[in-house]
Amino acid sequence: MKNLTRVRLAQALVASGLVLYIPANVIPVMTMTVAGDVEPLTVLGGVQELYDSGLWPVAGIVFLASIVVPFLKLLSLSWMLLLHGTSTLRPHRAAAHRIIHQIGTWSMIDIFLLAVLAAVGQLGILASVQAEPGALFFSAVLLCTLFAAEVYEPKLIWETEETSAAK
Amino acid sequence: MADDLTPNSCPTCAAGFLDRELEVGQELRCGRCSHVLKREGRIRSLHPAWAFATTGLILAALANSYPVMTFDVAGNTQSNLIITGVLSLGAQGYWPVAVLVFFCAIAAPVLHLLSVWYVSAACCLGQRWPMVRQIAHASERIEAWSLVPVFAVACVVAVVKLDMLGSVQWDLGIFWIALLSVCTFVVSQTFDRAIVARRLEELG
Repeated sequence: MKNLTRVRLAQALVASGLVLYIPANVIPVMTMTVAGDVEPLTVLGGVQELYDSGLWPVAGIVFLASIVVPFLKLLSLSWMLLLHGTSTLRPHRAAAHRIIHQIGTWSMIDIFLLAVLAAVGQLGILASVQAEPGALFFSAVLLCTLFAAEVYEPKLIWETEETSAAK
Repeated sequence: MADDLTPNSCPTCAAGFLDRELEVGQELRCGRCSHVLKREGRIRSLHPAWAFATTGLILAALANSYPVMTFDVAGNTQSNLIITGVLSLGAQGYWPVAVLVFFCAIAAPVLHLLSVWYVSAACCLGQRWPMVRQIAHASERIEAWSLVPVFAVACVVAVVKLDMLGSVQWDLGIFWIALLSVCTFVVSQTFDRAIVARRLEELG
């Protein structure tokens, strides 16, 4: 893949990620039915529920992994792509890329959580867990950020006009 | 001392550096982008990686065949495997999510371990097995998608949540998943790509 194609593709992925981030957080990801109570939960709603039951360490982990991490990833990727080709803050961008690479996959926690919960899907009428369209948007955001970080290689941060012209 | 310094350039940012022989446990980082240029690991063979990959494959088989947890609500009991969640997501019509979970929690970990097993076995036995180079390259790509530790944490959160619905009990499966996450991590640490590259060059 050419460098320019990589940059354009990464830009497209980050832009789609930013757009999809809104429905991913507004539309419920699952519906939990407890003793006849039907309760649609968004990503934040799930965190809220954990927090309310007094489990704030668990709530904290889920909040960090599924809300803060995807948002920071989208922000720092946009920042990196906006500064592409300039020499501003290059070492910082390289460091940000390394951090994204290490923590990025932890945002999958919410999708896995949904899968484990959905396994109880058909357990009578008293308790059930059903996936909702928000899950599709949420996975799409994750895939966009994961692929964008992969396509926009750290090498491209250091690309200058001379090196790109030489290729 | 001066003659074992060779000028070279960083593959990431093209900054120049002087290549030199490292002592065990040292690593050479690029001064500009801190990319690890080379590392002289404490382990100089691929035997540990081979052994841990074998262990990992056995653990993966166990983790996928024992129930992770048993859930009980009003007398209805259910034991869940990893694949149960994937299948019910699929049955609810959310197959893209199901495929993603299947790939990251089941397929990628196994493929990663298989590729490490194949490459390290070939290097340890000095055999010129077919496609070794391609598989070594593929293992690097697939490693990023092997998310067993993330899955293990998600299981813990799920148990906490299900506890609000009914009674949940851990099963043996979670123990295998935890061991598998540790093993996957150790495999990544011991599978030294520099040694692989050197061995493959020797084999020709």
